[in-house]
Amino acid sequence: MKNFCYIACLFFAFQMMVAHTIHVGNPYPLKNIRKAIAQSKDGDTIIVHKGLYREGNIVINKKIVFWGQGYPVLDARKKGEVLSIKADSVVVKGFKIINSGFAALDDPCGIKVYNRSFVRILNNKLDNNFFGIYLQNCNNCEVKGNIIISHGTEEQLIGNGIHCWKSNNLQIIANTISGHRDGIYFEFVANSVIWRNISTKNIRYGLHFMFSNDDSYITNLFKNNGAGVAVMFSKSVKMINNTFEENWGDSAYGLLLKEIADGYIFNNKFIKNTSGIYMEGTSRMKVEKNDFISNGWGMKIQASCMENEILNNNFLKNTFDISTNGSLVLNTFNSNYWDKYEGYDLNKDGVGDVPYHPLSLFAVLTEKNTSTMLLYRSFMITLLDKSEKVLPSITPDNFVDKTPLMKSLPL
Amino acid sequence: MKKSALIFLISIVLVSCISGEPKPIQLNTDSCDFCKMTIANGKFGAELITQKGRYYKFDDVACMIHFAKSNTVVPYKAFFVGDYLQENTLLPVEKCYFLKGGSINSPMHGNAVAFASDKEAAQYQSKLNAKLLTWKELYSSY
Repeated sequence: MKNFCYIACLFFAFQMMVAHTIHVGNPYPLKNIRKAIAQSKDGDTIIVHKGLYREGNIVINKKIVFWGQGYPVLDARKKGEVLSIKADSVVVKGFKIINSGFAALDDPCGIKVYNRSFVRILNNKLDNNFFGIYLQNCNNCEVKGNIIISHGTEEQLIGNGIHCWKSNNLQIIANTISGHRDGIYFEFVANSVIWRNISTKNIRYGLHFMFSNDDSYITNLFKNNGAGVAVMFSKSVKMINNTFEENWGDSAYGLLLKEIADGYIFNNKFIKNTSGIYMEGTSRMKVEKNDFISNGWGMKIQASCMENEILNNNFLKNTFDISTNGSLVLNTFNSNYWDKYEGYDLNKDGVGDVPYHPLSLFAVLTEKNTSTMLLYRSFMITLLDKSEKVLPSITPDNFVDKTPLMKSLPL
Repeated sequence: MKKSALIFLISIVLVSCISGEPKPIQLNTDSCDFCKMTIANGKFGAELITQKGRYYKFDDVACMIHFAKSNTVVPYKAFFVGDYLQENTLLPVEKCYFLKGGSINSPMHGNAVAFASDKEAAQYQSKLNAKLLTWKELYSSY
């Protein structure tokens, strides 16, 4: 009874009510979380102590702080949802949440928030859930420092790590996600930020945007996902300082851009992907100061893209720097560093005196007929490529960087 | 004898190329031929075969219909859609009962699903709060 008031008074003094702290688990008499929630009032804190709690679905329907100490385990034993949040301003912190159901029709989750605001989900460990954390129609919520792991396989249906739907002003920070369908999935989410997450080994995409405008993702690592990262049907998405690494496969792209506009891609690293960036139906994007290193294709820019500006990037050790499927060029290339550039710089201003045509003849040929790849690095192809460089006939001659840099940019 | 066996074999191979049977969708490996997304959920998947025997796979019925409408040059032989109640099973569209709208949430917002029988469709119609449609109605609704 003594230690009730101390923290509570400080914390909720402004609420003009006496908030309580309820302890659950050893050594306290109360062992049942559901009972604790039933006893609690808005503003209370429930501290759950270390242990295994197999209570099925736990619903939080009051404004409480739900705090696990020593990572108490909430196990749903493969039946339904583990934790459902149906109140505003709930804090869930420090739990280990395992074994949600695996059903295809009703999408069971580790933690699901229903139509709420100001919910914070902090430092939890989620293991073997169908969906990890699901925010449905939420505002001003924070998902921070969670470790979300599942064990999906290629043939199996599985949910997303962090799934956000129809929400606003979310902060997704410092989570580690692997083994889900999409690591982080945004659908109809606006004005939100994704920062410092690590999304690896997910079955489909590390990060997936659909119909989500005015969002940013900054300083994330996307590595070894089934098909990289996809940003689709969205406007004004800012992509800054991310690393896209080792996304290999026929339909795998470091970054897939489809039907998007007015975005900004700045200071990212694309390393060892089949295609660094694949663009289709993309317009008014600025691609600035990125590193494209050791990719099969640095950028694949389809003819449906227009008014994109590609400047000050490094293209290093890619098989093909640029590829396209048409002859129409509506994008501009300025002041990039291309390691395949063989021009000279007589006036020593750091800018090559001869314009560079980044689109090689062979890139055009393989785009039209993939099996020509067999002839890659053969003598004839090298010869053809050289002659095409001098006198462009098949490749569009306005596909050009007029101010190629002599030295790579220190990025 | 040998010759006829060979002809028989070849004809089998050739016929099997354009048999009109759907090819199963490889989940998380195949990508949609319209929207480029990797197909992850067979329940919403779709597939079409052209007269020449070429297969196109889609992650959403809407993608297939948009694809079919955008291309007037190649004639189509058959359309298939994923069964909502089975794991990654394709059904011919003529035999399907479709539900559209309500709480159905498909990858590309076609928001339509298919059922093998009218009983199943009726059962889910109230549950999903969706509209019952035939293939023709669905095709013209996008």
